[in-house]
Amino acid sequence: MELLTQLFPASHFSLLGLILILPLLAAFVNGVFGKRLGREAVTLMGLSAIFAAFVGAVITYLMLLGHGEHGELVRFHFNAWRWLQLEGVGDALAFRAVPLDVAFSVDALSGTMALVITGVGFLIHLYSSSYMAEDPGYYRFFAYLNLFIFSMLVLVLGNSLPILFVGWEGVGLCSYLLIGFWFSEDQNASAGKKAFITNRVGDFGLLVAMGLLVYYVGALDWHGIEVGRNNLLQPVKVWPVADSVPIAQLLPESLAEAISKPRYASAATLVCLALFLGAMGKSAQFGLHVWLPDAMAGPTPVSALIHAATMVTAGVYLLCRLSAVFVMSPMAMAVVAGIGAFTALFAATIALVQNDIKKVLAYSTLSQLGYMFLGAGVGAFEAGFFHVLTHAFFKACLFLGAGSVIHAMHARIHDTNDSQDMRNMGGLLKFMPATAITFAAAWAAIAGVPLTSGFFSKDEILLMALKSKVTGPATISGGQHRVVLENFVWPEWYSGLLYAMGLLTAILTAFYMSRLVIGIFLGEFRGWKIVPNWVDPHAQPASGAHDDHGHDAHAAAHDEHDDHAHHHHEKPGVEHMEGPTPHESPWQMTLPLWILGGLSLFAGLLNAHLIHIAPLGHFLEPVFAEASKSVEAPEESVESFKWIGAAIAVFIAAAPGIGLAWYTYVVKAGRPAAEAAAKFPRLHAFLSDKWRVDEFYKATILDIVDSLADMCVWFDKWIVDGILARASAFVIQAAGAILRQFQTGRVQAYSAVLMFGLLGVGTYLVLPHANVREHFDHASGVYKLSAAPGLGYKYRWDVDGQEGWDGGDKFGNRTEATFQLKVDEERVIRLEVEGPLLITSRYEKILVRPRPDASSAAVTPQKPEEKSAAVQLPPGHPPTRAGSAPDAKGTL
Amino acid sequence: MDTTIESYMLLSSVIFVIGAIGFLVRRNVLVQLMSIELMLNSVNLLLVSFNRLHTGNMVGQAFAFFIIAVAAAEVAVGLAIVLQLYRLRGAVNSDDATTLRH
Amino acid sequence: MTPGLLLFSVCSLLCVGGALFTVLSANPIRSALGLLTTIFGIAGLFLRLNAEFLAAMQVLVYAGAVVILFVFVIMLLGPTAKLIPARGTRSFLARAVGGGLGAIAGVFVISLLVSTKEHAFPIVGKEHGTVEAVGRQIFEHGLVPFELVTALLIVAVVGAVAVARTAHKKSEKPKIQNPTVRLFHGPLLARDAGRPLDGRTLQERYESEKNA
Repeated sequence: MELLTQLFPASHFSLLGLILILPLLAAFVNGVFGKRLGREAVTLMGLSAIFAAFVGAVITYLMLLGHGEHGELVRFHFNAWRWLQLEGVGDALAFRAVPLDVAFSVDALSGTMALVITGVGFLIHLYSSSYMAEDPGYYRFFAYLNLFIFSMLVLVLGNSLPILFVGWEGVGLCSYLLIGFWFSEDQNASAGKKAFITNRVGDFGLLVAMGLLVYYVGALDWHGIEVGRNNLLQPVKVWPVADSVPIAQLLPESLAEAISKPRYASAATLVCLALFLGAMGKSAQFGLHVWLPDAMAGPTPVSALIHAATMVTAGVYLLCRLSAVFVMSPMAMAVVAGIGAFTALFAATIALVQNDIKKVLAYSTLSQLGYMFLGAGVGAFEAGFFHVLTHAFFKACLFLGAGSVIHAMHARIHDTNDSQDMRNMGGLLKFMPATAITFAAAWAAIAGVPLTSGFFSKDEILLMALKSKVTGPATISGGQHRVVLENFVWPEWYSGLLYAMGLLTAILTAFYMSRLVIGIFLGEFRGWKIVPNWVDPHAQPASGAHDDHGHDAHAAAHDEHDDHAHHHHEKPGVEHMEGPTPHESPWQMTLPLWILGGLSLFAGLLNAHLIHIAPLGHFLEPVFAEASKSVEAPEESVESFKWIGAAIAVFIAAAPGIGLAWYTYVVKAGRPAAEAAAKFPRLHAFLSDKWRVDEFYKATILDIVDSLADMCVWFDKWIVDGILARASAFVIQAAGAILRQFQTGRVQAYSAVLMFGLLGVGTYLVLPHANVREHFDHASGVYKLSAAPGLGYKYRWDVDGQEGWDGGDKFGNRTEATFQLKVDEERVIRLEVEGPLLITSRYEKILVRPRPDASSAAVTPQKPEEKSAAVQLPPGHPPTRAGSAPDAKGTL
Repeated sequence: MDTTIESYMLLSSVIFVIGAIGFLVRRNVLVQLMSIELMLNSVNLLLVSFNRLHTGNMVGQAFAFFIIAVAAAEVAVGLAIVLQLYRLRGAVNSDDATTLRH
Repeated sequence: MTPGLLLFSVCSLLCVGGALFTVLSANPIRSALGLLTTIFGIAGLFLRLNAEFLAAMQVLVYAGAVVILFVFVIMLLGPTAKLIPARGTRSFLARAVGGGLGAIAGVFVISLLVSTKEHAFPIVGKEHGTVEAVGRQIFEHGLVPFELVTALLIVAVVGAVAVARTAHKKSEKPKIQNPTVRLFHGPLLARDAGRPLDGRTLQERYESEKNA
């Protein structure tokens, strides 16, 4: 331990880098070289990397425990490198510069998560090595799985929101890749897309939250957010978005006033709701939950690892991580708790009528995630997080058990839907006892059988839902708005409502989980007839070989119960067995089941507040210390209430649920359920259709997008193609038709044009151009004239004010002339240039020396002179201007 | 007369103009190529005679040398094109070679 | 009449006469002979201008290579070398414009020269224009262009071979009749719609046009 502490100091805890890099390395090797390495090497690579990461996580955890004896927050940091720096602009922002480091940190919360991720992850890797053994994409699967572990670790260990976001997107990507792992089937590929797109909605919330945090808090790392979080307690105008509502003038007076009244919310509420939107997407809370059930299209170990144990709990992790921020907004917390409770209840009702065992587990996952959010929402972060832990164990065990069952069923049939349908199962207990026993252990945990892990964690959540509430300051003011905002206060009845919903969910959970276990493991095996060519030796031909597990929910329900009844009477014996029998899975699959089953039963002791054993709770306490200050949980009443709450949870939730399921499906062989379904067909169909949320989205969002797309298509077809493209094409064609007349293709014509050009240039060069540049000195009145040079030019000047050319009529090489003028004196100056062809050009101008005061008033004294110089004769073709222009004669 | 630059300039201009007119008016591609050679030669003559004006300087002649080389290359490629034109059109009429118009 | 003037006069006459012969004769082989005359005349003028090296080059390259090449091609083409089918008025117009232009330019340039003063050549030493002097100039100051000229000549030779080589029979291109393909890969104008897709060679099309 001493050595480790020296090797990895708390401020530079490079062990985290090692934990992170190993899965990434394995992902890289498996992904790039896996195809050539072969199955054994891929297995070795994937498993050893994750196991090494697990060992690293254990060491980290032990070191955290070693440091955390004094009850204060322990956090190990590892700064990898500076990523970038956000620079603030303007005065309104709270920050000047926010550095974004690729930094990782670990404390009790993230340490526990890392332990779960690597531990459960390793078990599931081990399981997959057998489950996926026959798959041609074996190496691809392991590459994705390793990449997922890496991304999840980045998510959990990141020291700031941006790094968390990198992991967040990484797990989203891996989830997408693994859902669509068997992408050759449309259904799987579209399930992957659905997951990805639904998650984008949530990611948008997370990005907005990051922006708001930078704006108001000026930090994105955990410590900085915690320190600066009080800046969030300021009112923010949320409506109208601009200064006024644009259409307000068109409305009646009272309505206009109502809609243009400014509305305020605290910055904390905005941030928390945005963060919660992100958490909703990832953790599949109601509204954004639609992707999770479809995600079961992926391989079952993926469902266990990503869509039950780890990734979907990222939202809860985010809530716990930023608990100090969340508790600042009672309103946001009320929303979190409400959505969580509703999701729990909603998903549980759907799970009641599902027949696909993975679908049942998927809705059960949704329901349990709702539980976690309920716990976190009422301020019981520790309870919520503990449920994450126990849920990871028992739900992973359930999914892996389901995978084992499906694996066994595949001995009979190779159809994805039929092999997962529990109407085809039953009585598997005697074929696969190990799976059945571990499955039962996990079932006990999720149903809340006393002293199992699920019992303790659920009980804690239910208890806290009733007793705990989030409070904040009574009023909020400050910031740039001069308003005082009254803080939201939880209504009295709210806790009771949450508790009732939680309790009802618990009952339903116990019921449908028992139904699942009974359907799979008890009774007689109903899977014989799904073998092709099976003929029922007793029944009439009409009812034999039936393969019509209709997709119509109503019909399916009848079907199911018919099956129950049918086989119960018939009691098919061994003599009906044809073809292969279901069999127990190999050790690679059962070993994880045993471990996870054991953990499902006994992990509750980590945080059993009921019996005063809560090492995990004490360990986590410093993490939630800040948050718990804003949570109102009357300690004195908890003690007396605790046993009552526990008693209620056990006897009203677990026992009646299980008992009812036993009565319905074993004693009465499913007849009451069939009767209920027949009695309330609409309700049954509604539940079977998953509350028709998908249909609702189809009717609203998808159809709106579709019609937008139709409009765009119309625009593209008629405006862009029709007018823009065709019109411009017509113009170009017309221009081309004209220009084509000049393009004869005859070399002579082209060279004739060339000659024209040559002639023009030659003419310009040969003809002389008389240009004079003037320089005038104001003080002395001295003018200095210089003639423009040219090829073979000769000059003669007349600047002395007397008749005749200066120095005779001969042309010379004098290019400059200087003379002096008095104030107001006038002088005519002349210049004649003779070109090489003896053609001459003349320049003539009258110069007047301006008065000094007039010139001093001018800003730029040079300007008038230059302007007058511009009024010179146009160059070229002097003969044509012979009348007006000075004499110019051509001599050939 | 033979020792002034002007007479050589005049001579080379005459040859150049003859070449230019020949290029413009003749439609036999072969003759047009020869006209081009005439023009190049006139330029060579001009360069060499100007070089004669400067003692101890051979730049003009070096230029003329390069022009001779370029002219040789040009004739080789040009005649190859003439051959191909003949194969394509059956004649060496430059008025026929108007495919580029399209 | 000094020998120099005599040489100049004779060579000038050769040059101008040869040039006129080149441009005016109807038979290309006569044109080539006119060109040869001009080249020899210019070589003589080079001698008068103390450019012995270039005079030799002139005879070697032009008379020995270029004119011979011309003659080869003319003989290769046979009687078609001078066969010019009568054409429409456009080429006549072009010829009129071109000739007129050329004449104007000629008059213009010649008048420019006549009007200027005379500049006599200075006396130069014997080394002017020798192989050694020109070689020094080229290899001391123009080595890179010289090497580039060699590259140019090689490229020209390869290019000439590539161009003059008889084209191989092209593999028959599949006729694209799919309307979509026509729309996106075909010609832009309806006028050209049938053109690149009809699979005929240019030779065939030329002949069909000529017959029509």
